[in-house]
This record gives sequence, C-alpha cells and structure tokens, in this order.
Amino acid sequence: MSIPVAATELGTRLVEALGADVALTQPEDLTVYSFDAYSEDRLPTAAVVPRDAREVGIAVRIARECGQPVVPRGAGTGLCGGAVPRNGGLVVSFARMNRLLELDARNKRARVQPGLINLDLSKAIASYGIFYAPDPASQKISTIGGNVGTNAGGPHCLSYGTTTNHILGIEYVDEAGEVHRTSLDDSGYDLTGVLVGSEGTLGIVTEIDVRLMTLPETVRVGLAAFGDVEAASEAVSAIIGAGIVPTALEIMDKLIVDAVEAHYHAGFPLGSGAVLLVEIAGAADDMDESEAVLARIAREHGALSWRTARDAAERDALWASRKGAAGAIGRIAPNYYIQDACVPRTKLPQVMHEIDRIARDHRLPVGNVFHAGDGNLHPLLIFDRRVPREVQAVVDAGTEILRTCIAMGGTISGEHGIGYEKRESLSLVFSPDDLAAMGRVRDVFDPARTFNPDKIFPSGAVCGEVKRAHVA
Amino acid sequence: MIALDTLALGDRTPRCVEEPAEAAAVAALLKSCSASGDAAVIVGGGTLQGIGNAPARYDRAIVMRRLDRIATYDPRDLTIGIEAGMTIAAVNARLAEERQFIPFDVPRPRDATVGGTLAAGWAGPRRATYGGLRDLVIGSTAALADGTLATAGGMVVKNVTGYDMSKLYVGSLGTLGAIVRANFKTLPRPAVQRLALAPLSLEIEERAAAALATVTIEPAAALVMRGFAGNTPRVRDEDVRLIVLFEGSEATVDRATRELRSHLGAAGIAQTRLYDGADAERAFQATIDATIEPLADRSVTYRARGLPTAARTRMDTACAHVERLGLDADAIADLRTGDVYVRVAGATRDGLETRLADADAALRRVLSHATLLAGEPALRARLDAWGPPPSTIATMRALKARFDPAGTLAPGRYVGGI
Repeated sequence: MSIPVAATELGTRLVEALGADVALTQPEDLTVYSFDAYSEDRLPTAAVVPRDAREVGIAVRIARECGQPVVPRGAGTGLCGGAVPRNGGLVVSFARMNRLLELDARNKRARVQPGLINLDLSKAIASYGIFYAPDPASQKISTIGGNVGTNAGGPHCLSYGTTTNHILGIEYVDEAGEVHRTSLDDSGYDLTGVLVGSEGTLGIVTEIDVRLMTLPETVRVGLAAFGDVEAASEAVSAIIGAGIVPTALEIMDKLIVDAVEAHYHAGFPLGSGAVLLVEIAGAADDMDESEAVLARIAREHGALSWRTARDAAERDALWASRKGAAGAIGRIAPNYYIQDACVPRTKLPQVMHEIDRIARDHRLPVGNVFHAGDGNLHPLLIFDRRVPREVQAVVDAGTEILRTCIAMGGTISGEHGIGYEKRESLSLVFSPDDLAAMGRVRDVFDPARTFNPDKIFPSGAVCGEVKRAHVA
Repeated sequence: MIALDTLALGDRTPRCVEEPAEAAAVAALLKSCSASGDAAVIVGGGTLQGIGNAPARYDRAIVMRRLDRIATYDPRDLTIGIEAGMTIAAVNARLAEERQFIPFDVPRPRDATVGGTLAAGWAGPRRATYGGLRDLVIGSTAALADGTLATAGGMVVKNVTGYDMSKLYVGSLGTLGAIVRANFKTLPRPAVQRLALAPLSLEIEERAAAALATVTIEPAAALVMRGFAGNTPRVRDEDVRLIVLFEGSEATVDRATRELRSHLGAAGIAQTRLYDGADAERAFQATIDATIEPLADRSVTYRARGLPTAARTRMDTACAHVERLGLDADAIADLRTGDVYVRVAGATRDGLETRLADADAALRRVLSHATLLAGEPALRARLDAWGPPPSTIATMRALKARFDPAGTLAPGRYVGGI
C-alpha cells in the first residue's frame, strides 16, 4: 500500500513544528496508538504527545491542512473503538497532560488536564474530605478526558449521576486549532453539556473544570446472595420502587462471582446464583434503619443471605473485586464480548430473562455484572475467536440483546459510548430527523469532519457494512 | 383566548397567537413560520419572560399550555416524561402522590410550565444537593424550525447514545427549537423538610456563614436574604436573615438542626425559628418567588452565577454600589450554589429610570456573569439583558444559524443578539 503524500507530509510537518519528542512517526512508536479495548486496530499516520493546548492546536492545524483526521486518546480503555484511528491520520495522546492544575477545595471545584487518571484525582484531594464522584470500573487507569468523551458512568452514578453532571467547564481546541473555554457560569447555549459525551467528534478537550463532592459521613456496603439473577433483579426493582436510592446497586451472577472470588478472595458467597452489592452512604443516623429496610426487601425477594462489610478494608475489597470483574473473566475465558445497554429499571427481571434465553439460543456462556440500580446491563458473552461459529454467534447475540433492550424502552449504550462498534445501531434508536439534529451540531463544530470521523454516526452505506465482533 | 397584549415582549406584540395541542402541530407551525418569514416566540407560563431581550421581530406567539399531559410515568422507574405545557405545580402534585419530587425550585409554580422552566435555564437553590434541571433531564423532544421533531436521550437514567441534545435546548430560551416534551429522573421525597430562619445583622453575617460551614450535614439549600420585606417570614423586623433548608430522615434533620442552632448560638445568634413540612415548603417557595418579584413598576432584578464562597461578599458589594446611587437593593446570596440575585428599585419609577444606566454599569462591574431576570418591561427594554457575550459566542451564533437559518425562533432575544 502506498502512503499518500499528504500522510507523509503530516509526519514531517509535525516533527518540524513540535519536535521529535512530541511528534511520533515511526511505526514502532505508533503501534501503541493503534488500538483500544475494542477488537479492531489501525496504525495512525502519526501521533503527538503534546504538553499543552497550544501544541494541540498546532498539531490539529497541521493535520487539517494535510487533510488528515484527528483522533484523541486517553488511556485507551474504551470498549467501542472510539480511540482507534480507523482511517489513519493523527492520534493525540494526553499522556503528558495529566496534572491537577488547580484545586478550590472550599468551592469544591478543580481544574484538571484531560490525561489525569480518574482515581488519581480523588486520591489527591481525599485529605480535604472531598472526592470526584464518577467512578468507571476502569478508574485506576482511565483518564478524565476519556471519561468526558464517553460521559463515563460507574457503580456510584446511581446517586451521584454520570460524568456530565460533574463537569463545570471545558477548554477545547477547535478544527482551526484555536483554543476556547466553556463554563456553566456563562450565559448562552450549554456548550459544556454538548461536548461531554461527544466522543471526541466536536473538538479536542485540553482542560476540564470538575465539580467535587463532600465525602459521605458514613458508608456501608451490604451483600445479598440470591438463587438467580432474576430474583436479584426483582429485589433491585423493589428497592428503587420503594423510594430508596442507595449510592450503588450492583449485581454479579454466578459465573462472575466465581471468577472474581477465585482471583480476589473478597468473600463473595460462592455457588449462589447471583449476588447483590448495595452501598448506602450519608449521615450516620440513618444507616441502621436504611440497612434494615434493604435487608428486609432483599429477604422478601428470596435473598439466601445478607451481610454487611465489617470495615473499610472489607468494603474496599468488595469494590475492588467488583471493578476488577471484567479482568477476572479474562482468566477463565478465551475471549469475551462485553455489551453495554440500558433499560428502564422495572424491566430488569424481564431483560435478564431474555438475555439468558438469547445466550442459550446461541449456545454461548454468558456472565452478567452490571449497574442494576441504573438498569445498565453488561452481559459478557464468552467465546473462542478461533471458532468461527462462536464469533458469528456473538455478533448475532449482541445485536439481539440490543434490539431486545430497545424494544423494552431502553437504549444501546449506558456508559461505554457508541464509538465505531455501535455506529450502525444508532439508527435503531433514533430517526433520521433525530440524527440530522445531532449532525447540525457537528456541522458547527467540525464541518470538515476532522475530529474522530467514522464514530458515533451511521455510515452512509449501512447495508454494505459487515459488523465484526469485539474481541477482548 | 389569550389577549395579544398580554404576550407582548418589550414593545413587540404578536400579530396572532397559536395554541397547538400536539407536538406535530408545533412542528407544523414552525415550518410554516420558517416558510413565510414570520418570527415566532414559544410561550410557556410567562413567569420568566423577564429573561432575555425583546425579540427583533415577533409575529406569532405559540402558547404551549395545551400540551399539558404526562406522557409516561411509572413511579417504580423513578423517571417521568412530561409535555412542555404542563405546569410545575401539576407535575409536583402528581409526583407527590407517589412520594417523589423533582427539585424545580421555580418561582410561581402554578403558572410556570415544564418547557418554559427548562428553556429559561432555570437553576434553583437545591441544585447543589440534587443536581440542576439540566442534570435531571434524561431525554427530550424538540420541534425545530424546519418542522422536524427531534428526539434525544430516552427514558433511561444512563445514556451515551449520540449527542446530549437536551442540554442544548435547556437554557436556549426557545431560540434553537421548541421543547415539546422532556423526560426527567425523579427523586424519592425526603421524609422530613425543615426550614430554619435566623435573623442576621451585617456584622455577624460572616460568622453565621462560617457557623453554617461547620454543620456536618449539608443543607439542601442555604441562603442569605437582604430586604424583600414582603416575601419571607421573619423572626423580628430584621433586614438580613439566614434561610437554611434541611431535607432527609427525621434523625438526620434533627441532628442538623441541633448543630446549626448550637453553631449559630456560638456565633451570637440566639434566635432561630423553625418551620416543618408544609410550612417549610411555603417559606422556601416564598424565598424562590422573591427572585423574580417586582417592586411595583419601579424595579429590575439581576442574577449572577459565581463561586459559593464569594456569594455573600458579591451580594454586599453589589448592594453597596446600588445604594450609593440612591437606589434600594434587595438581594439573595445562595451560599451553596454561588448565585446572587439583586433587585434594584427606585423610590419612584422615574427615580430608577434616571439612574438605571449607572446602576446597570455598576452591577456588571462588580457582578460578573450578571443577567437580567425580571422587572418592569419598559425599563428592562433599555438594557441589554445579557451583558457582554461569552468568548464562545461565535460558536453559539453558528449553532443558531444552523438550527434556525431563517431566524424564525425569537430572533434577537438571546445572548449576543442571537
């Protein structure tokens, strides 16, 4: 394959403008920027690791002049191919822009660079009694910039909301390479709200103002074991229906619990069909009563046992294993495909039943680890990529699960984003008019489609696309 | 039938008024306006019409009040889909039946509508605790100027499926499209609501704020109010008072009350009056109503966002500047969100009119991000409601041009002449 002149020019000009320290053009240096946690990879033409917004602007300008796309990249933990440079071009890595720039603890605000790792922020500010609430399972490695791109969620979104509810302003580089700053304090359209969750298609985020929260006075984590996932789901629906909003309500089924327990030894009850992890947080006065209500509802819905983590260490161990569930599956499965969908919470028992049926129909083992309180599902379909039947079965089962969720009034992504993987499925949820309205926003921010093209929106040739499975 | 002159904005009165009852009818109206070159203003309850400038053109008023149904509500999902014309009071009443709520915190809820409240970008005091309306909206349908209906989001509480278009319509004052339906997260109603009211003097205001900061249970809202004689209950005839709203379980609210009283007592504030349940709700509503309450025909009210720790000082400075001009100032500082509201009034309408430009300049100097919120229409018409536009105004103008190329939707009403 011949490399187009514009592409070679891109590398040369980037090195000239930013130096070989910032601009990378050698294939061996570019490999790490060719993939994320989705299956497909593609080598970029060049990558930059800028130190500030000015350098980002220079890189964007050069890429645009060379007619090359620009793809921003956080930690590369995205599951939908959002950081993969599908058509080559320039990848912008934020590995060097990873600092906490300003902290205003009294007003509970901070300004951070996009490459700052999510958990590092909360660690850095814990001594002030505050924290950054969005906590995707990947928070030990994923960056706040990446979290902004996908409007990342996490177990504690149940009461604290997703990333968008914690972003107060954004500095971004536009397609002309110019730097802008948005703020919720400004009058005018809520550009901040539109940028969050736009998966790098509207501009390149270079600074983020985040809202911080006061650490709760007391935290308690309860663990209930159930005979099966449907019973656990019924309990979740009942808890929400009773007007209780815990800070987190997570379900893991047998397959996941066994894998997690083998790896983490956190004390999950082995052999039960499903466990429900409940966290309540707030004033100390309410804890006993809240816990009693939760335990009662769990028992009424068939809980086989209920226990409470004794101390912070046990609580942390339970959470560490919950957040490490996907990794633990890697030990027992040749490959897995993790789906992300969201349904109204009353539909949980029904949708879990359907997922089980779909997996059986396609002869695939399925594990479920999900944000039950939000109705946000993550079925893990286990397969072996060397077996063609299984690869096709995963694709078919994944699509069927999405269609089932949509039919129940749900949607095709709760927190992972659309990226490349689900772009063709977007038209299952939205009409051409709905998509046209979104397209107008894109026309304004990125008329030449420089930023992360081939993501989110369906391609023109929907029928010709062959969807391939995501292999983890 | 609605009288046309009641729909006037500044010196513009519409030629006709439309009252569509279906979303599709709203879209069709906008399409016909775009084709004929008519300018349309989307009208809710009219309570927040004081926000924004008078439109440059105004041919048709599209009143949304007949779109007043709950589209879907399963309380067990803690979500609700509501048509734009439903009043906030009606929504609140329906939610209360299920022991749920949405913290609209909006003035005059019996008149205010869901669509109008969202379009105005209303953000009340309890947003520091529960999130603002922009955060609780999980989906929307908007009628656009080209006659299409565009839906975004959905009825699920977590969603990253395409752009979050709802955020764009919320706060756009009907200049990008007409919100015809919005979906919200709902919240379980707290068991107990208690409002604590304490008289302050300027000298101990700072100590009171410091005392409040040491209460371990965060209040749902905390405000310092100056003046507004007609609007809130008082302990005695004090001019300045602290208003703190606690929400939660009985045990939590009791502890919070004890702590607050003890800290305020230590700061030298002996009297704290408490209101529970419906009384607390009424007192809180009165405080919110004050934010847009005019003083006869001789006041204008501003709102400014900022840092919570600066709110009280910003309020005091703003009031001092207003009073230096021989005008009266009533004001509210929201200690949790940082919002500052200042109502500027003259002894007479003429008294305000002659000093209006000076007061406006002074306020904008000391209150960054100040925008006009309410007041006598002819006086407001002499000012730019928005002040200097933000640095991103070019992008905002481009959005307007892309969504509404013919300038159908309230042209000139928004920031920077949009």
